Amino acid sequence: MPTPPPLRPFSLVLRSPMTKNLCLSVFLLTLSLACGGGHTNTAVAPAPAAAGIAYTDPTGTGWRLVKDSHSTPTRLLLNLVGPSGLKSRGAAFNLKAPAGIKFGNFSESTWPVKDLGVYELWNTDPYPYDGSVLPGSDPLEPKLLAGGVKTGNVLTVGVFQKDRRATAKDSGQPLFQVALEFDATAGLNAGDTLSLSIAKSKHMAEDMGAFSVKPTMEMLQKAVLVDMTIAVGVLRAN
Amino acid sequence: MHSKLPRPVTALGFVLALGSALQAAQPMTPAARAYHLAQQPKRVALAQETLFSRRGELGLSDQESFTPVHAFTNAEGEAIVRLDHTFQGHRVLGSQAIAKVPLGGAIVTLTDKVLAGVQVGGEPTLSPAAATAIALRRLDPKGPMKDAPKVEQVLFPAQFLGGLATTVNPATGKVMVDRQLTVHAQLASPYVWAYEVQTRLLNNQDGPKQLTYYIDGRTGNILRINNRLEQQAVSPVLGTGQGHYNGSVTIPTSKMVDGTYAIYDLTRGTLPNPYLQNFAPDGSGWSPTGMQAWYELNNPDGSNTWTEFLYQGNATNAWGDGQPFTAYGQEGGANGQTMAVDAMYGMSWTWDFYKNVFNLDGMDGKGTTVMAEVGMTGSWYRNNAYWDTYNQGAFLGAGSPDGYGAFTEFDVLAHEMTHGVTATTVKFVNSAGYEEAGLNEATSDFFSQMVKAYSTGVDGHAGTTIPNSGATWVMGAGVGHGTPIRYLDKPSKDQRSPDGWYDGLLYLDGHYSAGVLNRALYLLANGASATPGADDYSPYLPKGMKGIGYEKAAKIWFKAVTENLSSGYMGTVTYLDARNAAIQAALSLYGESAGGYGLDSLTSHAVEDAFGAANVGMNYAESSRTQVLFADWRNNDWIERNHDPRVGYGHKQYLPVGEKVVPRVTVLNNPNPEVTWSLGGPSMYNGSTYALKGGVINTDGTWTTPYELGWYAITATSKADPKQFAEGRAFLVNLDTDGDNEQDAVDLGNVAFSWYLTTALNPAHSMFNAPVVDDGDIAAFADAMKATWWVK
Repeated sequence: MPTPPPLRPFSLVLRSPMTKNLCLSVFLLTLSLACGGGHTNTAVAPAPAAAGIAYTDPTGTGWRLVKDSHSTPTRLLLNLVGPSGLKSRGAAFNLKAPAGIKFGNFSESTWPVKDLGVYELWNTDPYPYDGSVLPGSDPLEPKLLAGGVKTGNVLTVGVFQKDRRATAKDSGQPLFQVALEFDATAGLNAGDTLSLSIAKSKHMAEDMGAFSVKPTMEMLQKAVLVDMTIAVGVLRAN
Repeated sequence: MHSKLPRPVTALGFVLALGSALQAAQPMTPAARAYHLAQQPKRVALAQETLFSRRGELGLSDQESFTPVHAFTNAEGEAIVRLDHTFQGHRVLGSQAIAKVPLGGAIVTLTDKVLAGVQVGGEPTLSPAAATAIALRRLDPKGPMKDAPKVEQVLFPAQFLGGLATTVNPATGKVMVDRQLTVHAQLASPYVWAYEVQTRLLNNQDGPKQLTYYIDGRTGNILRINNRLEQQAVSPVLGTGQGHYNGSVTIPTSKMVDGTYAIYDLTRGTLPNPYLQNFAPDGSGWSPTGMQAWYELNNPDGSNTWTEFLYQGNATNAWGDGQPFTAYGQEGGANGQTMAVDAMYGMSWTWDFYKNVFNLDGMDGKGTTVMAEVGMTGSWYRNNAYWDTYNQGAFLGAGSPDGYGAFTEFDVLAHEMTHGVTATTVKFVNSAGYEEAGLNEATSDFFSQMVKAYSTGVDGHAGTTIPNSGATWVMGAGVGHGTPIRYLDKPSKDQRSPDGWYDGLLYLDGHYSAGVLNRALYLLANGASATPGADDYSPYLPKGMKGIGYEKAAKIWFKAVTENLSSGYMGTVTYLDARNAAIQAALSLYGESAGGYGLDSLTSHAVEDAFGAANVGMNYAESSRTQVLFADWRNNDWIERNHDPRVGYGHKQYLPVGEKVVPRVTVLNNPNPEVTWSLGGPSMYNGSTYALKGGVINTDGTWTTPYELGWYAITATSKADPKQFAEGRAFLVNLDTDGDNEQDAVDLGNVAFSWYLTTALNPAHSMFNAPVVDDGDIAAFADAMKATWWVK
């Protein structure tokens, strides 16, 4: 009677969400061998430890997070893209990621969000007002661009045009970008599905440009951010 | 002697032609004027020919002639020609003829100033260059010449010898010798060859001077000196004043062209005041050069009219009524003059203090005229005083009927004018957020006390030393009707100023953070007690110390701020820098001379002790002192300027309302790093930027910020050494602009709605709930975001 192969130690897979299923598989394999039936060398190999993350874009043409081509296996760049033809002046969302995913920073800014140049973030008037500095050329001009990671691994990011005189932009293009980084210390297994969710997301609609000079209902009607739904694709460890 | 002097020729008159007289009565057409002007050269030549032909009648020889030097055509169409009398081609000083040349009429010449009988032999033996050197030696310029001296050989009549020149002593009102213009020389003959040397000075060291020297061409003696600078017919005199704060005093004034008097002192200031240069001369003899007192004319209800006037037109040179100012709308009257009396009195003493004790010519060291304007009203001016560096002026509030008195007290003037000294030397920043704001104000406070002491000296305005008494060590006691505005001996007596340094002192307005240096300099001059509870006892120096006296303390600190410290309005000078600068000044002034201590002297030890007593550095021979520092909130965010400082929120820490944040401090030089946290801090007592206390200090050392926005302070005190503490300040802002009880980046969108919208605004869109949303909101949002979420 052939000698059964040695069992793999379980300890390698204990922390993964897949641990329960894997243990069951190993248990079944062990049981069958003990019964003396079947063929030798047919054991199912446990999932290897993940070395990165993969993202499948969502379907549809609405607001969505789309993978950027400059992504790497360990740093996923997601671009916010809106419906083509919809004019907007900025957007913001809160994205929650599971353990194993860290939100990355960008070298171009001090925030975990990268502007992709669609929205005009600066005052359209020369600054200061003597015309010595052209719009957009002042690197110190405060912009409505911010991002931070809140408790619960929630990334909050927002990019808006502050000057109402700037025209609204077509949303159907990459507007701004966030970075999700694979945490190699988290013990993810290849194939693990990682849940991304957006609890709050809003955009600024086109028609909020001019206001009357006196308080009117117009202000209350226009000065409201529009709720929206952002489709998120499937994120897996691999 | 008189018979040897040249005799003027009697004037020769010629009858005017009738036609010319008739022409003069007619208005000249432009065409006629053009014609006359075109004829002018011919008429000049005609005048010269006429006078030349009449030399015999004038008693002139064939070696003499006339040279036209100036001509113009008057409204009547006559050419008026001035001609210098020459001898052998050289000008005879003081000998000139005037010729009137009408169209077609007889020439009229005025020759009463033409000297006859001129005789001189030989040639000058002195070279023009040698004569110029003699003149320049007498001139003794301190700065560069405006241009090269001009030298010309002339014939000098003895009757024009300079002799004694006089002026009026501004301190006594008596006539005195003018040493600049006085010459003592005798001539060998009625006429000698001489050189006229014209000099011009216009620089910061000398001011404006235009002196012309006449040098004997053989002996080199100075024969005469003319001051060619246009002088107004104004003479310095002393007036009598009734001040409210100073009582009956003598103040420098001037007698003007019309014989009346003005509070205008020609003897102090050689360069014009920049502000007063905006005013046109009024014919009184006034100019922007010379210390002077002005007033703002108010309406009878005390509101300002934004018009201002010099105190002038006084027929008696007696000023003021000595009473508190109440006569709004009549600031130029006797009651208003009282403010000017006090101001001028303080100004003149302060000017002389710096000039005679520290050899400083004016506040800027260049002799620029300073001025005071009293009776200022308006919401800010009324109960304040300020120094305008650009305009070299002290602008002094009128006070309030039921509040402060007029801000013309002696120490107020000395304080403000001292700002003029620091503003042109160390250039301290003067706003909260910088420790040097306190150094700035304290320097003015301290030297105002030194000027007070100086004014009690036996040598009066000419004194060069500072008596060791006479200072009151309080500021504005008169303005406050007996309650000082500040105390130098124990600054905390005002309930606002600290007696010792702590981390966070910079949050105070400079008038309060000044307390630390005021205390140090007071103790340095006067000493510190070893008796707990005494005003001059310091827990940081329990053994007490012996003072080094006013003069040494003043000279040390003057040297420190004018030679050892430099900010250039950058805010870089700390209290510790000030201590080190003072030690260096003490060593350079009183190092070796104090007994061979070299780089270590008893005086420098005293400086160390005085600053140590104010918790700035350590006492002499002290080995270690605990310090509590608000070093890092998060990666230096506590003071990080992570946005454009131009938007006005630099040096500030922004935190969100209603969030848990983690304050951190460092305890140095003590094995026990524990601190006790408390809400609030010393800056809460700062009137200009009032801080609040609120929220909760949690057991884990975190701070849950309150929900109300505004300035907040928290304080960490060393458990091991409770004398040492640090204060942190933050402005709490409301990030939840969309009102969903969550502070996140989505809230940025609401800022965009209201950005630069001054009306129709939802104030909640502003970080500050302000009526205007601008870049400051964005910067605050960014700061607050970084300061909270990332620290978790």
